[in-house]
Amino acid sequence: MATEHLTISLNEVLFFFTRAGFGVNAPIGISEDFAYSNMWIAENGFDPSSCSIEALNNLDSHTSDLAVELEKSDTQVHFVNPNNVYLSSLIASVSVVDCINIGSQDVELIVKNVDSPLLVIAAMGANQCSDWQAIWLDENNYEYLVNFIEPGVWEMVSSNTQPIELSKGGNMIIRPLVETKKHPANAVLRQFVTIEEKEKILQTGVKVGEHWQGIYDYFSRCLVKSTAESRASGAGAGMVDTD
Amino acid sequence: MMSDSNLSNLSVEFMRPPEQVMRLDRMGSSHQTRLSFMRSLIRRMSRENWKFECLRRDIDNDGFGVSVYAVTTPLRTYSLIAFTQDIPPKKRTDRVIAEVWDATFNLFDGIPTQADIDYLANNTPKQEGGRYRPSELVLARANKSLRVFEHVISTLAKGNQPDIELLSSVGYLMRTTAVYGSGKFGCADRAKIADREECKGAFQIELLAVYLIRWFTIDLAEHLAKKRGGDKAVKFEPHIRQFIGVGNATGLGMAPFLLKHPVLIHNLVIAKESALARVRSMETPLKGTLEKFTQSLIQVSQHLREWSVEDEVQTTRIDRLKDEIESLSNWCSDEINLMKPYPWNGIYQFVEDRFSLECQEMVVSLIIEPHGSLVDDLAETMSSVSTPKLVANMPLSQLKEIVKDYYVWATTIDFTLTDSQHHFWYYSEDKLEPRFGSRDVEEGSEQEMPLAIGRDVHDLNHALLSTSDEMLVGEFVISFPQFRHIIRRIQNTLQRPYSEVQDNLLDESMRPLDLLRFKLAFFGASKFDPKSDLWTRISMYQGAPMPDQLSDPDHDKWFFPVIPNQVI
Repeated sequence: MATEHLTISLNEVLFFFTRAGFGVNAPIGISEDFAYSNMWIAENGFDPSSCSIEALNNLDSHTSDLAVELEKSDTQVHFVNPNNVYLSSLIASVSVVDCINIGSQDVELIVKNVDSPLLVIAAMGANQCSDWQAIWLDENNYEYLVNFIEPGVWEMVSSNTQPIELSKGGNMIIRPLVETKKHPANAVLRQFVTIEEKEKILQTGVKVGEHWQGIYDYFSRCLVKSTAESRASGAGAGMVDTD
Repeated sequence: MMSDSNLSNLSVEFMRPPEQVMRLDRMGSSHQTRLSFMRSLIRRMSRENWKFECLRRDIDNDGFGVSVYAVTTPLRTYSLIAFTQDIPPKKRTDRVIAEVWDATFNLFDGIPTQADIDYLANNTPKQEGGRYRPSELVLARANKSLRVFEHVISTLAKGNQPDIELLSSVGYLMRTTAVYGSGKFGCADRAKIADREECKGAFQIELLAVYLIRWFTIDLAEHLAKKRGGDKAVKFEPHIRQFIGVGNATGLGMAPFLLKHPVLIHNLVIAKESALARVRSMETPLKGTLEKFTQSLIQVSQHLREWSVEDEVQTTRIDRLKDEIESLSNWCSDEINLMKPYPWNGIYQFVEDRFSLECQEMVVSLIIEPHGSLVDDLAETMSSVSTPKLVANMPLSQLKEIVKDYYVWATTIDFTLTDSQHHFWYYSEDKLEPRFGSRDVEEGSEQEMPLAIGRDVHDLNHALLSTSDEMLVGEFVISFPQFRHIIRRIQNTLQRPYSEVQDNLLDESMRPLDLLRFKLAFFGASKFDPKSDLWTRISMYQGAPMPDQLSDPDHDKWFFPVIPNQVI
């Protein structure tokens, strides 16, 4: 299963990414949402492992953590990590979606120093967010704009060559969508209809690249070492079964 | 309790509540019904006149090689690709950790090319060690019944029919030990086929694969008999062929699957309970249905006499069940008992008040059986496409109410007792085999699967004691992210009250077997043959029509199968 350039199913994305999140000590509920976000990433034709490996590595190395503080004003909600490390996108993504679902329709959400911004976008996509816009400048000074135009339809605008899944360390502004037409002259716009992209993926599978091994390694932490006792009796049937 | 547009107000009054239905001891007494997935698939095959054809049989005189069996539905074709090989007897195990099998299979989406078969020949025999593509819908394997397979070939080769008692004691020629679908090991995701008419019911594509495997095993045996016996060889008599099912060994993997799909559990159970409520709520019976029911008591008595297992607990239950069915037959023979209003409810109440859970659940199946026109539409509602999402704007006051209303079974468990947390569920590094361990004996409880529903609800309930009612769930989980998953489950239960198994799955007394039987009954399995608390053998499609019998008028009359010509 740990082969480079492997093709996996969406169900395998769900299975392995849930446990990979759990493998870096994220609570299971957050890990489940992390996996659904990765399914959305895969459904839209991206390699989920190349985006998420950074977020998992950061949690594992304590370069990020799951602490988040909300600072609220009448017009803004700030999501901040209090420990002077990256705000993990695993917690930022669920916190943003929860905030939107609570009904924060008239405020801007400011997500500071989140390690993998695409995971926040993916959580919004996986939760069918619509009429929202996210914009961020990452630590490499690359700028990205994502518009959720209607349920299942979104567009990405950027004028740089760095793939969006590699963007890290972003300060994101997430706000109700008011204008989709104004883009810089040199910007490249890609629009996605998720259901159409997903249909293609269902026919071909999800291609994962070099970072898959890292995801699998984190997943493997959820496995229990086999012993003679558990091998013999942990799963019922005998070692030789004839009838 | 719930809204269900398929139920009249009167029927709702006859619904059994979740706290009665969703208990392990009752779940572990489940039987197939006419809504079971195999039954509904056979009805569809017949209704839509599916065509079956053996496209390829490249096997040697011992039956080893590759075969392809195709089925054509109104809109598309599916193919079973079967690889057969010689394996040492000592390598035969029903466990996930097995490495070789007599036969390995894929259900292919369409008709495979030679390139497809070449690719799969390098993967399918390795099972979990191979990789599959979205063109493969199902991956499966099976081992021969050593007792029956050789007997059948040698007797057919000599021009004789096999020993029916021996066939009955096993029930099949081969026993599947895993049937994987839904994206496992790279196979097609469920979403690829979910909109296809023939796939809309639950597990229809997996059970189509099993049906084709059954046909393959019978066809293989007849072919090998012909090779051995030449002109002297005969085929099975049609009624004997129909009596041969396909075996299955089911272990722990099915239990975590079930627990991780609460929407599916609800949809399965509410369909069956709605069917029962519709029948119980009829003031006067539909013409001929009571007669069919009393006839079925005769057949089921025979079925019980043929249901013989080594397991002492199940044997005791079967013996009691035989007596109870006889008592019910006697009660029904007094016409006064059946001439009162609401006769079906009368039968159900008579049984519920007096008899074992095993009998109660069998009678549920029997009283639903004659009512196809009333209940068969419910089979279409038994799959699930939705995934519960956290409702962030729910006030904690409402969450507390749901816990209070639906989770008393969990909040009243004393988890300080060692026995209450005796077990844990985990995946072994050994081929990811699901295992069930004792916390005090085995290492690895820190990697426990998140299936401790009762304990997690209990802990959440404790944490909620010190929170404000006005706080929203979305605010609570910022401070308590460890409860995110269990809150999502609890919120789902408000919409889908039959989602939860209302028992402690970690308890020392917990028998995974109950969960396995619950799900296998929905598949349509019969003759449960428990081998321990952790696994069971079953027979599938025993008595079901073969492909050339699907247009017979009796194609749907195969529940609780009995030895042909043995019904008294």
